[in-house]
Amino acid sequence: MNSTSQKPTRVTPDRSRDVRATIKKYYIYVVLLFIVFVFSVVKLGEVEMFGRGHFLSPDSVVNMLRTAVPVLTLSGAFTLLMISGYIDLSVGSAMSLNAVVFALMILNGVPFLLAFPITLVLGVILGAINGYLVMKLRITPVIATLVTLLIFKGLALLIVPDGSSAIKSIPGKPMPEWINDYARHDVLLGLPMAFFVAVALIAVLVIVQRKTILGKYAAAVGGNRTAAELSGINAVKVVWFLYILVGVFAALAGMARASYMSLGDPLSGDNMELTCIIAVLLGGTAFSGGEGSVAKTMVGALIVISITTGLMTVIPAYWQTVAMGSVLLIAVVLNHLLVREPAK
Amino acid sequence: MQPTENVLEIRDLVKDFPGVRAVNDVSFDIKRSTVHCLVGENGAGKSTLIKMLTGAYARTSGRILLNGEEYSPRSTRDARQRGISTLFQELNVVDQLTVEENLTLGLEDTTFGFLRKTDKINKMVSVMNSIEPSIKPRQQVSTLSVAQKQIVEIAKAVATESNIIIMDEPTAAISESEIARLFTLIRSLRENNVTVIYISHRLDEIFELGDYVTVMRDGKHIDTKPVSQVHDRSELIKMMIGKTVFEQYTPRAEEAKKTTLEVKHLSNHKLNDLSFDVHEGEIVGFYGLVGAGKTELARAIYGVDTYEGDIVFKGRKLQPSPDKAIAAGIALVPEERRSQGLFTILTIRANIPVMNMKKISRGGFIDAAQEKQVADEYVDKLRIATSSTEKEAAQLSGGNQQKVVLSKCLFADADLLMLDEPTRGVDVGAKSEIYAIIRQLSAEGKSILIFSSELPEIVNLCDTICLLYDGSMKAMMRNGPEIDSEKILHIVTGGE
Amino acid sequence: MNVDTKLMQKKPTGSRMGKMSNETFITLFMIVMLILVFGIAALVVPNFYLPQNMLNLLANNWFIVIVGIGVTFLLVTGNFDMSVGGVIALTGVLSVYFCQGANVSQNVLANGLGLPYGVAVALALLCAMGVGGLNAFFVARLKVPSIIVTLGTAMLARGIAQVITQGAQRNTSLPDVFGFIGTMAIPATTIKISVLVMLILVFVAFIFEKKTVPGRRTYLIGANSEAARLSGVKVTRHLTSLFILSALLAGITGILLASEFKAGVSNRATGYEFDALVVALLGGVSINGGRGSVLGMFVGAIILSVVTSASTGLLLSPDWQFILKGSVTFIAILAQRFALEHRKV
Repeated sequence: MNSTSQKPTRVTPDRSRDVRATIKKYYIYVVLLFIVFVFSVVKLGEVEMFGRGHFLSPDSVVNMLRTAVPVLTLSGAFTLLMISGYIDLSVGSAMSLNAVVFALMILNGVPFLLAFPITLVLGVILGAINGYLVMKLRITPVIATLVTLLIFKGLALLIVPDGSSAIKSIPGKPMPEWINDYARHDVLLGLPMAFFVAVALIAVLVIVQRKTILGKYAAAVGGNRTAAELSGINAVKVVWFLYILVGVFAALAGMARASYMSLGDPLSGDNMELTCIIAVLLGGTAFSGGEGSVAKTMVGALIVISITTGLMTVIPAYWQTVAMGSVLLIAVVLNHLLVREPAK
Repeated sequence: MQPTENVLEIRDLVKDFPGVRAVNDVSFDIKRSTVHCLVGENGAGKSTLIKMLTGAYARTSGRILLNGEEYSPRSTRDARQRGISTLFQELNVVDQLTVEENLTLGLEDTTFGFLRKTDKINKMVSVMNSIEPSIKPRQQVSTLSVAQKQIVEIAKAVATESNIIIMDEPTAAISESEIARLFTLIRSLRENNVTVIYISHRLDEIFELGDYVTVMRDGKHIDTKPVSQVHDRSELIKMMIGKTVFEQYTPRAEEAKKTTLEVKHLSNHKLNDLSFDVHEGEIVGFYGLVGAGKTELARAIYGVDTYEGDIVFKGRKLQPSPDKAIAAGIALVPEERRSQGLFTILTIRANIPVMNMKKISRGGFIDAAQEKQVADEYVDKLRIATSSTEKEAAQLSGGNQQKVVLSKCLFADADLLMLDEPTRGVDVGAKSEIYAIIRQLSAEGKSILIFSSELPEIVNLCDTICLLYDGSMKAMMRNGPEIDSEKILHIVTGGE
Repeated sequence: MNVDTKLMQKKPTGSRMGKMSNETFITLFMIVMLILVFGIAALVVPNFYLPQNMLNLLANNWFIVIVGIGVTFLLVTGNFDMSVGGVIALTGVLSVYFCQGANVSQNVLANGLGLPYGVAVALALLCAMGVGGLNAFFVARLKVPSIIVTLGTAMLARGIAQVITQGAQRNTSLPDVFGFIGTMAIPATTIKISVLVMLILVFVAFIFEKKTVPGRRTYLIGANSEAARLSGVKVTRHLTSLFILSALLAGITGILLASEFKAGVSNRATGYEFDALVVALLGGVSINGGRGSVLGMFVGAIILSVVTSASTGLLLSPDWQFILKGSVTFIAILAQRFALEHRKV
């Protein structure tokens, strides 16, 4: 790191900064297009999940978007939290727990209009717990949310009765058909209600990030917490709220998953936090906080979904893990190249 | 109620820390709508005083009256709400936000959470515009220079109707032309009923800008008077330094011996083409104000920062990295002892041998007995006040902590020892002990580089004095009876 | 604002009078906790207090303890290593694959590279160290947060294992010697070699961290990495060594497990990285200040053992493990903090 060839200047010359800023702004759309292109062109063999045909066929796109609903829902809120400089590794388990509770309620005759808000409240509680551990007890976010990851996962597993792998139809007590109404049944263009809800929520989050005080304060706390607090911002309140927000969105994602699969699977959220992290990384959010974009994370999420579903059609299932791992590491490298810390 | 003539009245203010009284019975007034300068050497108590005004410290005793009313801020936010804003050397702006967002941070108008552009906001932006039209509100702050960021902070203070703005060494990191703009801005602030408390070492600035000046020394208030009644710089300097000028420097009997360090055309983001030689047994002092480049020079030699140019030590070119520097025989006592020099949660015993573990180990295994012995030896030699070497370094006083860092560097058996602000925050007794050690080392043939903003320290100790200003070496002179401290101050404050 | 003075306002923790370091204090504290937990378990769980059970407590977690060593060292420096589970799986699978007979069968999963066992083991360990090196590259050089990197390399390592085993396992055409080290016991006892290896490694690790110069460096970096750098410690190089060491330890564990079960299973060791972290935290390793010892981690491992075997003894379903681990860790973190803050009294 001790190059003595270039005299480092304090403010980088305008041109290279502009070029880099432009690349940073648009590369992600290029990547998405590239991936879609690749998969469209590749000859597909047995495409079980989507029926034979191209990656871009309406059927397969619809299916892809349906399965993408949880990620899309969740990674937006995740981005806001990361902008403030904090992380939540328990989102996957929270999602599973919410799915299980939701499915349990539906299975036992609770109407949707009641089960939905109750699950949301659960999401708030889980998020509040995370916020409390991190902001009030001041436990390192990684450790605090790994602890809650274990606890939420454990709770989800315990709720599912022994001998069963998930909350699902049992002889004599079938899971009501209408559970699929939310996330599986066609409402418009083949897409379910949950998808449109997700789109609406994403739009809301984009607006929140860019035009509301929450978005601004998140960036302020993430960028320079001291300066933010000096200006009268209560960092604890802001970040705690963001954790709760993530909790609510995890609940929505869990309900979407349960609705789609007609069951509450305590492992359905596994690795969801990794998917969110990849989406956020691809979207150019800095680890340390201060900047980021919900919109770009969405594109990142679409990229991840395209890769996962695209790969599923091309390579055997047991290649999935190594593929995801590689994608994560590539995303890390890309993020590193594009998000340079300001020169000190 | 009529606004009082004095915006601030300080009465018998005292601040004690364990073992030291940093502010000792200080009383003076600050008049409204003036530029009131605060000067004093390092350790005079200026920053502690300011911290009590800004709410960072609680006072031990005494009173402060703000606009005639009792003033006891519990936090910096409190102080801001009472109308006192501060510009510190670390800028309190959020780089990732825009100028406008920074200006309005904490003061936004919202409807259901949506940020609105109200008159209040527009007014704040127009304040920024009238101060410095070249800064666009939509610019991201990270693209601004240090001077511009300062202006944003000032604009925010003005826009929030602060009636006192404290500026701590504001000109340390900005260029001449930027300084001129800043001064124009300060004058217009004054026209607009803002009182500016201005802390600076650069005496020319006091004369150019100040209405009043307060001199502090050793925690005490020396005098406060209108700048117009100060005859010249030497009057200020004499007040800052006090009756005892310097300990007499004993000139070196022998002539300069072998050259150990050669610095050739050293340049980096802060330094401009520095070249000089250092000899065996020589104590070279680098004196300059805040921002002159002292620490940057030390770090460059030590290999912490990048640079252009060559550094030759004992005949071989130095590779830029601290471990290679240490291996070659150079050690650095860093500027910030807690964050850079010390392992505060480790014991004294664990701290001392760190730079030369070979000496207390065999085949990679630490000899615990030897380690203890070394620790005891240095505690003894440097008279570190502690009941046990098992104490955590965090629990020692500033002076003793510095001694531990010094022990660490001494144990490295370096042939060139660099000390950056060696006695900052150190009590008088420890100070002279440290000086004695430095002289001893020099007598043994080691070369010493001292980087300091305390002139008495430099003149007291050093054989050769280098004056730095704004990253350049302005002068290099032998120490002796002809040394004119006024001339020195003249040069380091920008004169020729 | 001078950083020095800002820090000056923070209260120093720890004893003003006693000579015991905070670390020793916490280790002793956790030993007391262990006795407490054990006591409760002995009261509540039928047949808990049996000699065989006690031995099991010490020995059951041997694999967690071994990887716990690497995780502890890294945690002291402020870094995570969540890739240990994946590396265990990968090394196990590789050790099988490398020495499976070549061209023995139609079944792809029964054919390997036909190398001698020793060579296979060595190569597999090298691959493990490669993963460690990859971790080090991202964390020490690119300065990417270790939690994210190691979660990625965990997937990469396990993913490769899955590819090689096609999602299942490889367990055929193995040389006889393959099953030796994993199943051997010390003559005249039921103590497995693996357990002995664990004890030896813990002992060596303890000596290393307390008594050697490189071991001291870990603490210096953890206490103040900037001061460490300015004192001549090659921080990047040291962190790289720690990541490689952690991967090597995971590799050794993988070899032993593969040998014990005579199979390379791609989903072996799922969750081990969590357990390793849990036992380190239970043992008082602090991510914030360069404090923590493998001895503490070992105590933490026994605590975990007591808790999990008590839950089995109480006939709780294995699903309870997650909640127990999470809760116990949480309680331990708070208890340790409480103990330190009130130590002066």
